[in-house]
Amino acid sequence: MTAKYVGQPVKRNEDPRLLTGQALFVDDVHLPDMLHAAFLRSDYAHARILSIDTTAAKEMPGVVAVYTAEDLGDFWQPSPMIVQPPPTLEDIVFNPRPQIPLAKDMVRHIGDPVAVVIAESRYIAEDAAEQIWVDYEPLEVVTDIEKALEPDSPLVYEDLGTNLASHVRQEKGNYAAAAKKADLIIKRRMVIDRGAAAAMENRGIVVDWDAKTQHMTMWNTTQAPIPIRNGLAATLGLSEHQVRVIAPFVGGGFGPKIMLLQPEEVLLPWAAMRLCRPIKWIEDRRENFLGTTQERGQIHAVEAAFSKDGKILGLKDIFLHDTGAYNPYGLTIPLNTQTHSMGVYDVPNFYTEFKVVFTNKMIVTPVRGAGRPQGIFLVERMMDLAAKELGIDPVEIRRRNLIPADAFPVHHSIIGQDFIEAIYDSGNFQPLVEKARLLIGYDKFVTEEQPKLRAAGKHIGIGLAPFVESTGVGPYEGARITVESSGKVNLVTGVGTQGQSHFTSFAQIAAEQLGVAVQDVEVTTGDTDQFHWGTGTFASRGAVVAGNAIFAAAKRVRAKILAKASEVLDAPEEELELKDGAIRIADIPEKSISLGELAMLANPLRGAVEPGTEPGLEATEYFGPKYGTTASGVAAMIVEVDPDTMLIDIKKFVIAHDCGTVINPMVVDGQIHGGVSMGIGHSFYEQLIYDENGQLLNASFMDYLVPRSTDMPPSIEIAHQETKSPLNPMGSKGVGEAGAIPIPAVLAQALENALNIDGLELLEMPLSPGRLFELAQAAKNRD
Amino acid sequence: MKLSGEFIFDGNRDEVWELLRDPDELAKALPGTQSLSKVSDNQYTGKMNVRLGPVSGMFSGKITISDEVPPESYTMQVDGRGAPGFVKGTGAIQLMEQPDNKTLMKYSGDVQIGGRLAGVGQRLVESVSKSMVKQGLETLNMALQAKHAPPPSATAPEARSPEPPPAYTPPSEMKFAMGVAKDLTTEFFSSTDRNVWLTVGVVLVSFALGYCFGQKRRGG
Repeated sequence: MTAKYVGQPVKRNEDPRLLTGQALFVDDVHLPDMLHAAFLRSDYAHARILSIDTTAAKEMPGVVAVYTAEDLGDFWQPSPMIVQPPPTLEDIVFNPRPQIPLAKDMVRHIGDPVAVVIAESRYIAEDAAEQIWVDYEPLEVVTDIEKALEPDSPLVYEDLGTNLASHVRQEKGNYAAAAKKADLIIKRRMVIDRGAAAAMENRGIVVDWDAKTQHMTMWNTTQAPIPIRNGLAATLGLSEHQVRVIAPFVGGGFGPKIMLLQPEEVLLPWAAMRLCRPIKWIEDRRENFLGTTQERGQIHAVEAAFSKDGKILGLKDIFLHDTGAYNPYGLTIPLNTQTHSMGVYDVPNFYTEFKVVFTNKMIVTPVRGAGRPQGIFLVERMMDLAAKELGIDPVEIRRRNLIPADAFPVHHSIIGQDFIEAIYDSGNFQPLVEKARLLIGYDKFVTEEQPKLRAAGKHIGIGLAPFVESTGVGPYEGARITVESSGKVNLVTGVGTQGQSHFTSFAQIAAEQLGVAVQDVEVTTGDTDQFHWGTGTFASRGAVVAGNAIFAAAKRVRAKILAKASEVLDAPEEELELKDGAIRIADIPEKSISLGELAMLANPLRGAVEPGTEPGLEATEYFGPKYGTTASGVAAMIVEVDPDTMLIDIKKFVIAHDCGTVINPMVVDGQIHGGVSMGIGHSFYEQLIYDENGQLLNASFMDYLVPRSTDMPPSIEIAHQETKSPLNPMGSKGVGEAGAIPIPAVLAQALENALNIDGLELLEMPLSPGRLFELAQAAKNRD
Repeated sequence: MKLSGEFIFDGNRDEVWELLRDPDELAKALPGTQSLSKVSDNQYTGKMNVRLGPVSGMFSGKITISDEVPPESYTMQVDGRGAPGFVKGTGAIQLMEQPDNKTLMKYSGDVQIGGRLAGVGQRLVESVSKSMVKQGLETLNMALQAKHAPPPSATAPEARSPEPPPAYTPPSEMKFAMGVAKDLTTEFFSSTDRNVWLTVGVVLVSFALGYCFGQKRRGG
């Protein structure tokens, strides 16, 4: 019997290299004669560029070149839109404003790149950038998405005559009719502000143009090496095979690194071709705050209709979404918000409408969660408000509204980010709620512990919030698996890796099919010379889409192995087994051949290969799902608040999670841990503060608070449930963003419960000790 | 950011007016000022090294005076830019005669900052600006006192006034930084435990000194 690896907590193949400093990151690439780049970024959120004087910078010793938009000539072109709005959406407004390589006549947010200096060292490049004099005419700034739509607002794009980037309306059922029958209507305004992805590794690029071979190599921290290769080739007028993009080990992606053909990515290859020398650019932390995209930034007017027994009859949500100064990523985030606003509930009627707004702030593109936490926040907050109004226990009101297990697939008739109607393919929410309730000890806490602790003067509360996560969207990914003559297996796929344990999870899938040790599967990701079909790592899709392509390729290689071995061992395929790197006849184990020998036989140096067969033990396969598969979970926490300082202490945190087939439970746990810490950060610590002039006031880790280990709960207890997806052969669902999604909702609920102040409603995120104090005082003063 | 306050000068209004319009005295009162020159009746241009926590660098800018009512009031527009960002502000200054040959200054202004100055220096901006204004005014006042003091050689020992005016030497950049650090600690820890106060004070002063020396090394 072949060893079973899928589902096992196999130790990570990549860790020995990572832990001993043997893993290549972009900044580890050092090439002879390499130059260094520094960007001059705008200090103004909105200004006209009257002139740029680069004379002093160019005169500095060690400066090789200084480029402004004017120097780019015809090469200056807006980058293509990365994501177009779904063609399936009807009657929408969409005004595309893609990124541009360098600001030409106008800067539209602080950090907008204005010039680039190429020099012998980064020190010289940065010093020279400071010597560039830009004559700006500061213009009125718009940062507030509500004010931005007022008639007299300053305009980010004068030619548009409006700051409206997009307007979309969708409806399932008929909310207005449902509201008429309701016993209770709740209306609230909810605000979710911006946070940073704050990956440990910032963005970075090394690009090398070899004029003699007419070949370009780029090392890039991207989540999407293949689209960048194709885009670069098109932009630079090269063949796709003249460009190799390598995404080596990357220290965290979290969304912003999916961005394609950003100014740095376009300019540096162009400069490298002109200068015929390699160029390195590594974003520093402050630059990351100003030059890397961000997320969240929505204001919702939510309305929910309930019957008196707590059944939700309908939901209505009209929201504004801040896209910042450009909108290259289309509607992905607000569409995710729309498709996640019904959460795990049977919401028969849902009216949802959004306006996307241009502001003089950094561009908004997906950051782990990507619109989903906002949707979950609003529906979960509505459940809490209704529970309070109707005098129903918060867990009970949720139970009453869960989509039943026999209702799948659930069609929502709301178009999502993958251009088709949101459909929950599968799920089983009721047992997840029970698992989380038991793990957190809900009943005992509420009936026994909390009253005692409250009597002792403690402010301690509990929250429980379910969530869904649309994952594993198309279009497709591919993989090639080769058995080498050493008997080891080579596995390549196009997606890039930013810490998701692909080198292990992917190896497990192949190893199980091929009967080799997981350590004997050498995985290569994100190198376009190794595999050049695919899209990228986003939307929690690596394990689902690439995973199933690997599964398919491994099955085909297995079939080839069996066919060849059957011929060599002269035994029917059914009698063969693959185990420990060899193929043997199950009943006569001494009659066997090693995989390596078989691979050599399949690739002979002389003789004839049967017509119609392929050499070697190799297969390439692709997988594209019909639509994204829906993962789900229920998070619960117990939190204590210090009423004087409003500092919080998460005493206990549990999550019951369902991502279908678990490939490696340890890796899934790790993904959840990371997501939870990010969720906690974006709910209570991290917030990007812009002033009314569009200045980012906390553009450093001195002022922007990423949670520390001491801000984490003492442990994160995880229960796995496996409701297999019918959309892919492995039955898998994604988990990359899961942890981050329910935290704002569950924390708000738990904090309200802990503070127990009449009229205190936490309807905004992120909170902070200061903000929580203000809200608590305001609620007390209202009494 | 709004800045406002009052200050009492030990001199009459005409003297104070003259002092406030003297670029040399102003330059001395604001250490870090590399140059300040009058380019027209109501315009000055200059260069100043500004230091705000971890952010420092050279600013060049211009000051425009308008709505001038000598010796009572004027408004001032400051427009400065440098590698660490930009400063843009307007201020209204009013001088009022007081008994005993003193003058009360009332000032109010609105300052906008941008770039690295705002992104990294934000949490120090208000305190440092207030402190810079306070110290600058104190230095100007010392210059005023020094003018009033009779030359030392002409004064007989027995005729010396009970409280001699302090000798006036404009503060060095380092001394100024220390003053700013001291103001910051006073502001943050005016009513808390003394030991904490001291520790933080020492840390901040060392910090300020570090920047002074760091600046020099880089300059050299």
